[in-house]
Amino acid sequence: MTRAETFSYLPPLTDGELRAQIINLTARGLIPGIEYTENPTIRDSYWKLWKLPFVDRPSPEAVLVEIDQCVAHNPTAEIKLVGYDNIRQGQVVAFVVRRPE
Amino acid sequence: MADHTSPLFAAGVKEYRETYWRPGYEPADTDILTAFRVTPQEGVPIEEAAAAVAAESSTGTWTQVWTDHLVDIGRYQAKCYRIDPVPGEGDQAIAYIAYPLDLFEEGSISNVMSSIVGNVFGFKALRALRLEDMRIPAAYMKTFPGPPNGIQIERDRLNKYGRPLLGCTIKPKLGLSARNYGRAVYEALSGGLDFTKDDENINSQPFMRWRDRYEFVMEAVLKAETETGERKGHYLNVTAPTVEQTFARAEFARDLGSPIIMHDYLTAGFAMHQSLSNWCRANGMLLHVHRAMHAVMDRQKHHGIHFRVLAKWLRMAGGDHLHVGTVVGKLEGDRASTLGVVDLLREDRITADPARGIYFDQEWVSLPATMPVASGGIHVHHMPDLVEIFGDDSVLQFGGGTLGHPWGASAGATANRVALEACVKARNEGRDLIAEGPDILRGAAVHSRELAMAMETWASVRFDFDTVDTLDPAVTP
Repeated sequence: MTRAETFSYLPPLTDGELRAQIINLTARGLIPGIEYTENPTIRDSYWKLWKLPFVDRPSPEAVLVEIDQCVAHNPTAEIKLVGYDNIRQGQVVAFVVRRPE
Repeated sequence: MADHTSPLFAAGVKEYRETYWRPGYEPADTDILTAFRVTPQEGVPIEEAAAAVAAESSTGTWTQVWTDHLVDIGRYQAKCYRIDPVPGEGDQAIAYIAYPLDLFEEGSISNVMSSIVGNVFGFKALRALRLEDMRIPAAYMKTFPGPPNGIQIERDRLNKYGRPLLGCTIKPKLGLSARNYGRAVYEALSGGLDFTKDDENINSQPFMRWRDRYEFVMEAVLKAETETGERKGHYLNVTAPTVEQTFARAEFARDLGSPIIMHDYLTAGFAMHQSLSNWCRANGMLLHVHRAMHAVMDRQKHHGIHFRVLAKWLRMAGGDHLHVGTVVGKLEGDRASTLGVVDLLREDRITADPARGIYFDQEWVSLPATMPVASGGIHVHHMPDLVEIFGDDSVLQFGGGTLGHPWGASAGATANRVALEACVKARNEGRDLIAEGPDILRGAAVHSRELAMAMETWASVRFDFDTVDTLDPAVTP
């Protein structure tokens, strides 16, 4: 099993723990985005985007709903949550939120 | 013999303060400003000592020379414009000196050093002298390219976000064969570290030549990457006896696919370092910078150069990582002062703050940032403090704290990675890392035998000694 990305050495996040991370991300003014891939490889910087990043300050619930949607449509994909910082002008958060069983 | 005394030139010695002490001078935006801690010899007035520093580090020499009259000295002379006594330190004072920009060659730290920390440090009228801080004007800053990559590019290349990076120096420092060394690298990286590191004194000794080390290390790095699915690297130390050898080693590291090399900037020298940094930029190579020898210059409170200045020079000369001390480990480093240095490396604008030893505002005018590296005598119990102190944009390096795990380096690496991620997760949940640190680690250890074992092993190791280089409360301009 691969153990790439932040939090991959902890037990999978529970729904409540995921929600707490999303609250932190949005509270810091970061822009959440959802990415997914069927085929995680080491040099791949560009997983598929699920819809577009939430540029309009979403509620944590809205982000959770879209993660669930992404899971429903891509049950065998790895799904990652990223956080963009438009002041630093780069990505500053990323972790895998769902790995297929 | 004829008397050649000229009525137009008054030979002899003039007091420095007549020319170089200019209280109330308003520094220009383009001036380089310095704050020196001056300890005069007994009987030397502080104004004269401070003015002598300005003179000897710019246009002055000990006597009048007729060729002075052929140049527009006023354009080049440094000016001591302010003197603040240091509370509780007797005759000591902080002297503020302004240097006109034309005194310096563009993009040359060597020139800045030869000028400002050159002869003046041996000047007899001073008992001691310390360069505390330096304001680099934007106009001069823009002549330096800075770090070859910077923090954001490093994160994007390594695909690591939202947490400090984890490293480990391979031990024992000296004696391992190349293949055995690669084994330790593989174990640590496959266990969950992002980086492993050559020690500073590993260059190319009889027991392990550089080329052999690089080959085995890169085999280990690539294997650990394939197994974990995570990008990793080893700081291949390219510090060498000659410029040519340094570049030969850097090129071989690049050809083997290493994402990062390492260099000791103080022992190798700034000219070498700036060339290597430029090479790294041209070759997409990350540059890890070690600071061996720094304590020779920066540890004594009354004499030398404060590390914040050496750190500023490194960011200007170029480096993606720089060792800064740990605050909590085995090596010297006052907490407030270290945090000031961390800001100087990472932020684009720093405001003067006497509580952190920062004497001047500093604008970096979009120069890339350098990641601070905390290394030396740290173990898993320090993790909550380290995450709190250094934040995400840092490298935390556990050498003995990885390799010393009773079950080996791989287990040690996993223990540190679990502890790190648990602390980041808890911090993001709003928990207080300082107050709740032990609880957070204990909670994480429930899911990690490696962490539980590490916590038991290093339960009672502490390094509680007083800091030698303490800060004085001082007023800031």
